[in-house]
Amino acid sequence: MNRSVVILILALMGCSFLLVYSQQKTRQLFIEKNRAEIFERKLNQEWLRLEYEQRELSRSTRIIEIAKKQLRMNEAKQDQTMYLKEKE
Amino acid sequence: MRVNRPVPSATLVLRLPMWRSRVVLFLMFAGFCALIARALWIQGLGNDFYAEKGNKVKRVLELNAVRGKIVDRNGIILATSLEAKTIVAYPDVVPDDLDKNKIQEFAKLLQMSEADLRKKLSESRNQLYLRRQIEPDVAAKIKALEIPGIVITSEYRRYYPEGESAAHVVGFTNISDAGQEGMELSNNTYLTGKNGQRNVIIDRLGRVVDDLGNFVPPKNGQDLQLSIDSKIQSIAYEAVKKAVETHHAKSGGAVVIDAITGEVLALANWPSYNPNRRDKLSGEQLRNRVLTDTFEPGSTMKPLTIALALEKGIVTPNTMMTIGHLQIGKKVITDTHPYGVLSVAQIIQKSSNIGTSRIALQMAPEEMWSLFQAVGFGQAPKIGFPGAVAGLVKPYDKWGKLDQASMSYGYSISTSLFQLAKAYTIFVRDGELAPISMQKIEQPQVGTQVISAKVAMQVRTMMETVTQEGGTALKAQVPGYRVGGKTGTAHKSNGKKGYSANRYDAFFVGIAPISAPRIVVAVVIDEPTVGGHYGGEVAAPVFSSVTGATLRALNIAPDANTSQLVQNGMGAPYQQVKY
Repeated sequence: MNRSVVILILALMGCSFLLVYSQQKTRQLFIEKNRAEIFERKLNQEWLRLEYEQRELSRSTRIIEIAKKQLRMNEAKQDQTMYLKEKE
Repeated sequence: MRVNRPVPSATLVLRLPMWRSRVVLFLMFAGFCALIARALWIQGLGNDFYAEKGNKVKRVLELNAVRGKIVDRNGIILATSLEAKTIVAYPDVVPDDLDKNKIQEFAKLLQMSEADLRKKLSESRNQLYLRRQIEPDVAAKIKALEIPGIVITSEYRRYYPEGESAAHVVGFTNISDAGQEGMELSNNTYLTGKNGQRNVIIDRLGRVVDDLGNFVPPKNGQDLQLSIDSKIQSIAYEAVKKAVETHHAKSGGAVVIDAITGEVLALANWPSYNPNRRDKLSGEQLRNRVLTDTFEPGSTMKPLTIALALEKGIVTPNTMMTIGHLQIGKKVITDTHPYGVLSVAQIIQKSSNIGTSRIALQMAPEEMWSLFQAVGFGQAPKIGFPGAVAGLVKPYDKWGKLDQASMSYGYSISTSLFQLAKAYTIFVRDGELAPISMQKIEQPQVGTQVISAKVAMQVRTMMETVTQEGGTALKAQVPGYRVGGKTGTAHKSNGKKGYSANRYDAFFVGIAPISAPRIVVAVVIDEPTVGGHYGGEVAAPVFSSVTGATLRALNIAPDANTSQLVQNGMGAPYQQVKY
């Protein structure tokens, strides 16, 4: 009888320690998960921001302005256009 | 046989007095009573202290949902929500003995005085906003101060990268993210997300350590894809803006429709506004004139009248008509030039009011009225756009002869530019009126047949002559492409006083390319005052540049007889390329 009592007491103590440990682990993992979620959101936001920035930079009006002013490009006029005929 | 009888142990034999066990029992009972009383006290009566302790670690986190994006037909962003930082304080967590330098620095970053900040932080509130929608780099500096109880959260702000050019189509939202104009308003429910919520426990450092259940995930709004092509849109906008400025006009508008699918590719207005500047969002410039303003369409109505006459077999394109002089009651119908005899095709090419009236007067008012109804005049276009107007078509039993004649060339009837563009889709789709959509569609929709394919083709041919030698709109020509259309120059109404002598609306509505029609482009310039006022001078060049850009953007091959262009010396010397 004494032996079983000792075993049970040891098991109880083990369980208690495990409980404390798992509780602690849960919290740690929970914090980690939260952190990852926040990071995910941040990356999403960053992506949206970059997408917006790319859009800003690729606006037609901006491209036309740069092409005309900086690169001195012009739209092809009628007498500069060569029409290629597809073979029938 | 000997039997071993158990000998009773000494303890069992020992008899204790009864009262001792009673005492022990009573003490145990009293102990339990004390425990229950204490538990009751903690749980119920005297729990303020503990409740307060508990609340300090409990938080309700609002989880922001993002409003859906608005994108154009190619997925290019027209409206998007970006994060902006908000500084939230939990005054009961902020320590009272905060370092003086820190608080000064903090106040400076928040752009408020130290006294104000201290007052706010001493308020007995669970949480309060210190500042909303600040720049991310300022928020980062505040975070670096590491003040307990100061949390940086995120809100969303709406951005419109296309700015002024698509402002009337896209619209804008107010500070609480609700749509106020345009597609933002008409699709508000679709775009709006639903915020979520989370009940959590935080630790001493403000970290979330556990969920308390009741988690409601945020539901983001859905993305909306429009039929607009942002490239064509910005070209149309710039062209309208330039024309309004060159001709010192009051306003202008243009609409581009892909008649085969019924999608609106561009819808531009000037004056416009910048939807990113929230403080300036009011007044006249917000009006989407293409949809909300009606006018008398003038000569742009003639192709419809002639189409009906062709359909009813009253005339053929080659029927010769004596134009001469026409008077109905007291009113004399006039043309810009006197004409003797014109064919029906020439009536369109030269835009003769008298010729059109003579043809119209051979038709029954009811027939004309039915055509107007069939192409959508007098009914607000159902494209899910706020404020689209119906225009005005008088019931046919109230028409006099003069009404009938003037309607045939676009007076006594009012439409919006959008309705006019829609009506012209019958010439593109071989007589079928296209159902119009502001959102991208996958499959072309079936329309309603209004005139026969043969008549639609005949009118197309006539409209092409308008842009050729002898027509009213040489400036509508698009290099490399065959285009057709109709000019319009309408005297503006002065209300009951009749028509103004010197205020005009200049129009051009056209289709392209003629050999395989695809698009309708309609342009209006309101009250041009400098450099002409005719549709052929003012609106036709806008049509030309917008149509050229649209055809190139849609990757449509030039259909003009290019070798002829080369022979005429208009093109560069060219060599046959062998594949």
